[in-house]
Amino acid sequence: MRILLILAATAAVTGAACKKVISVDLNNAAPQLVIEGEVANVRGPFPVRISKSVPFSASNVYPPVTNADVYITDSTNGIVDHLSQPNSDSGVYLARGTVGVAGHTYVLSVTVDGKQYRAVSTMPKAVFLDSVTFALNFDFNNKQEINAVVNFQDPRGLGNYYQFTEKVNGRNIPNVFVFEDRLSDGRYIEQPLFNDSAYLQKNDTLLLTMNCVDKNIYNYFFTLANVTGNNNFQTATPANPSTNITGGALGYFSAHTTQKAEIVVY
Amino acid sequence: MAQTRYTANGTVRDKASGEVLIGASISIQEIPRSSILSNAYGFYSISAPAGQYHLLVSFSGYQTDTIDLALTKNLEVPVELVTAGNSLTAVVVSATKKNENVTRPLMGVQKLTTNEIKNVPVLFGEKDVLKTIQLLPGIQFAGDGNAGFFVRGGGADQNLILLDEATVYNPSHLLGFFSTFNSDAIKDITVFKGGMPAEYGGRLSSVVDIKMNDGNNKDYHFGGGIGLISTRLSAEGPIVKDRGSFSISGRRTYADLFLKLSPDSSVSDNSLYFYDLNVKANYKLGERDRVYLSGYFGRDYLSFGNTFGIDYGNATGTARWNHVFSSRLFSNTSLIYSKYSYKIRINSNNNNIGLTSNIKDLDLKEDLQYYIDAGNKVNFGFSAIHHAIAPGILSASATSSFNSLNLQSHYSLENAVYISHEWSPSERVHLDYGLRVSSFLALGPGAFYTYDANGNPKDSTYYSSGRVAKSYTNPEPRASLSLQLSEASSIKIAYNRNTQVLHLLSNSTSANPTDLWIPSSNNVKPGIADQESIGFYKNADNNRYEFSIEAYYKSLQNQIDYKNGAQLIANTNVESQLLFGKGRAYGLELFAKKKVGRLTGWISYTLSRTELQIDGINQDKWYPAKQDRTHDIAIVGIYPAGPKWTLSATWVYYTGNAVTFPSGKYQVDNQTAFYYTERNGYRMPAYHRMDVAATLQGKKRKKWESSWTFSIYNLYGRENAYSIVFQNDPGDPTKTQALQYALFRFVPAVTYNFKF
Repeated sequence: MRILLILAATAAVTGAACKKVISVDLNNAAPQLVIEGEVANVRGPFPVRISKSVPFSASNVYPPVTNADVYITDSTNGIVDHLSQPNSDSGVYLARGTVGVAGHTYVLSVTVDGKQYRAVSTMPKAVFLDSVTFALNFDFNNKQEINAVVNFQDPRGLGNYYQFTEKVNGRNIPNVFVFEDRLSDGRYIEQPLFNDSAYLQKNDTLLLTMNCVDKNIYNYFFTLANVTGNNNFQTATPANPSTNITGGALGYFSAHTTQKAEIVVY
Repeated sequence: MAQTRYTANGTVRDKASGEVLIGASISIQEIPRSSILSNAYGFYSISAPAGQYHLLVSFSGYQTDTIDLALTKNLEVPVELVTAGNSLTAVVVSATKKNENVTRPLMGVQKLTTNEIKNVPVLFGEKDVLKTIQLLPGIQFAGDGNAGFFVRGGGADQNLILLDEATVYNPSHLLGFFSTFNSDAIKDITVFKGGMPAEYGGRLSSVVDIKMNDGNNKDYHFGGGIGLISTRLSAEGPIVKDRGSFSISGRRTYADLFLKLSPDSSVSDNSLYFYDLNVKANYKLGERDRVYLSGYFGRDYLSFGNTFGIDYGNATGTARWNHVFSSRLFSNTSLIYSKYSYKIRINSNNNNIGLTSNIKDLDLKEDLQYYIDAGNKVNFGFSAIHHAIAPGILSASATSSFNSLNLQSHYSLENAVYISHEWSPSERVHLDYGLRVSSFLALGPGAFYTYDANGNPKDSTYYSSGRVAKSYTNPEPRASLSLQLSEASSIKIAYNRNTQVLHLLSNSTSANPTDLWIPSSNNVKPGIADQESIGFYKNADNNRYEFSIEAYYKSLQNQIDYKNGAQLIANTNVESQLLFGKGRAYGLELFAKKKVGRLTGWISYTLSRTELQIDGINQDKWYPAKQDRTHDIAIVGIYPAGPKWTLSATWVYYTGNAVTFPSGKYQVDNQTAFYYTERNGYRMPAYHRMDVAATLQGKKRKKWESSWTFSIYNLYGRENAYSIVFQNDPGDPTKTQALQYALFRFVPAVTYNFKF
């Protein structure tokens, strides 16, 4: 937020701050394994995507990892699901035998080139999304923007974590939206989802997803928000988000309840 | 039988204004190494065996005074010095004792008077003592838009900034473009980078001691200035002639008035301004007693339409009583109040939220100086500060998505006693050694938590009001020694330990108004810094040139950093978000100053390294601190180009800050995310900038004096990087790019100053 304030202050005092694209000589780290997996309380199959990181200067094409051995275990009822990769060069593995149930704990286990990675996530209880409304807000440049507002009752008792995604006219909005009830326990929540760069326009079709996630996943997305290519103002000391995957992979494994709402922006 | 000794004492003042002179040199001509300096209230005391002497009093910028001294009894000898004339010369000429920098044991000290900085170019032409000291070696500019500064590798929160003894918690206005110190109100500024005298304590890196003007006790005077972004006004005069005086200075920026002119309501609804007010008064109660009252009030207001607003500021007050117990024992008792607070309001849709936070200090301080004999003085005293910190009171409207919240306040006592001895055992050796013992008590009422390895609260104990939950006691030895090699050269060495019980938590690149001060506790230990330094000082060409080399090594314990994703806002368990480790800083500072002649100025160069080792960061390996600067250069030149014009220029260069940049990227959640390998493994581009100013002295009338100052900040328009951001390329979705933000190119300014 500081840089927004300071740019606004500078602009007010001196006219305008200047920005330009520069070239920075960055190191190329060895490719890192990235695992993204989910289980939800809807009908499967649930995808687990495995890919690798690339150098900063490369194109945004991330090589899939196709030789992984992937299992999801429902440790509450003991059901083990061995995931298959229907499209053998996609790096997308599907869990067809897993059923998402709130309160169950799921274990993801991935083996790639003899190395094992593991993650545990517990699906929280669902919180009902009442409605999605729209509001006009000003950003720090004083431009008016339309924001979706999510309306729901946070249940009494700390420890509810929410994650939202937006799809506008079929296109994913690359923005991280998370909310926790640390300062809002038991409140009726009317929370605008502030967009960083992709804005909603009147008459767009918005598909909004609300996930109730566990604490680790909230922390993951909260810290991920600082290091995405869509975040204009990174923190002073950015770091890799705190993942729930052990063994040295990037990414996350989330068991969550999910609800969707489709509406035309007004 | 030893001969009877007598003492002469008094106060050194400016003859024209009655303003006391701090640090004037007083010596008895006939007695070698009898020289002493007037103290912070202009007081001096000097003893000698009965006899006929000459008292020599000198001060930079003033004509030396020689006073016949018939020391046949204890005498009170007030001294009034006359200015050396040509007030256009900025870095002024001292008459004698030009080699004080060589002879005094103090090292790592930089001192500037407001007069010395008046021609140095600055942003928007706003004279700023805190900005100008950053042109001195070892004191590093934190970057554009940042009033913070780094001293010998220490963080911005490790500087104790005192205004008439009161701690100023946030020394910046407008998010750092200006400091809170209106130079009209400031008499002088002294920065201790190492070898701190024992009377100072509480921060690890430096002490910045700023003193306000007392006011003219002979005549009324008024002054002011009109600049592009602010107006200043000041008044001073006697309360009762020669017995007491007052000084009032105020300023307000009016950038927001221009915003109001905008036809675009989204711009004109914004506000962006600050004001400050400095007031001071003193009154002589009797021959031995004088009282001083001083206060500072300043506040910033920033708001964006109706949706977001923040105001913040400091208020300080100091009441002081000088008492001369005897001609050799001087006492000052101070009662000091300091408050910093901020208030945020957010109005959006259903949410009406207010967040307030403040820190309040009440300090009782006693300082005594006992002048044993020439070259032999003892300083002792104590200080007791009560800190009350309210980290946050959040009030939310009924329809808000947030609960109202009142975070537990923290109460603590920071106490210290000290004694030090300034002593010259021989003509060539000067010694200043002492001990400060600081004690810290974390007090109830309040709950004190312990945390498990994951940062979850494990246990808590409630302490009722006034009960001690945790205490720390730290002895802080201080010593410095100077060995004079010749009339014009010396070697000095110093050691000092400092501790710091208050810690500033900040998750952003630079200081924010909302940064959080927390006291030490059962989880957070006081920081400790040990510094050793050595220096060589030489004056050349009859003291026309001054050279110094200082080297330092500092080791730091109990340094603080944050866990990844640390939640510092409105968090009762904020202590669980911290990581602890140690630091080290070392460097070499070169300084060359030309004090006399038409062209005056200085060159300063610092070569340094600052590193941290924090458990849980960078695989527990040492890494460069953000403020690690390999090279830091400042050049200042001032040249009177005729009877009316004074030209000046500065050039600065420094190695870019250590920063964390990505070493790869990957895709997650349909987004590009960046991959980081090590903390602070990269560098911002080097920073450099040249500023120039020209001052035109207006025609001098009987009482009216005026001048115009024209300046250009960043003369060659270098776009110095404020921030580098990595992002998706908006023009090519298959690519990512690095985007550099710079705050300024050229910033011209003109200021008109007047006084009468």
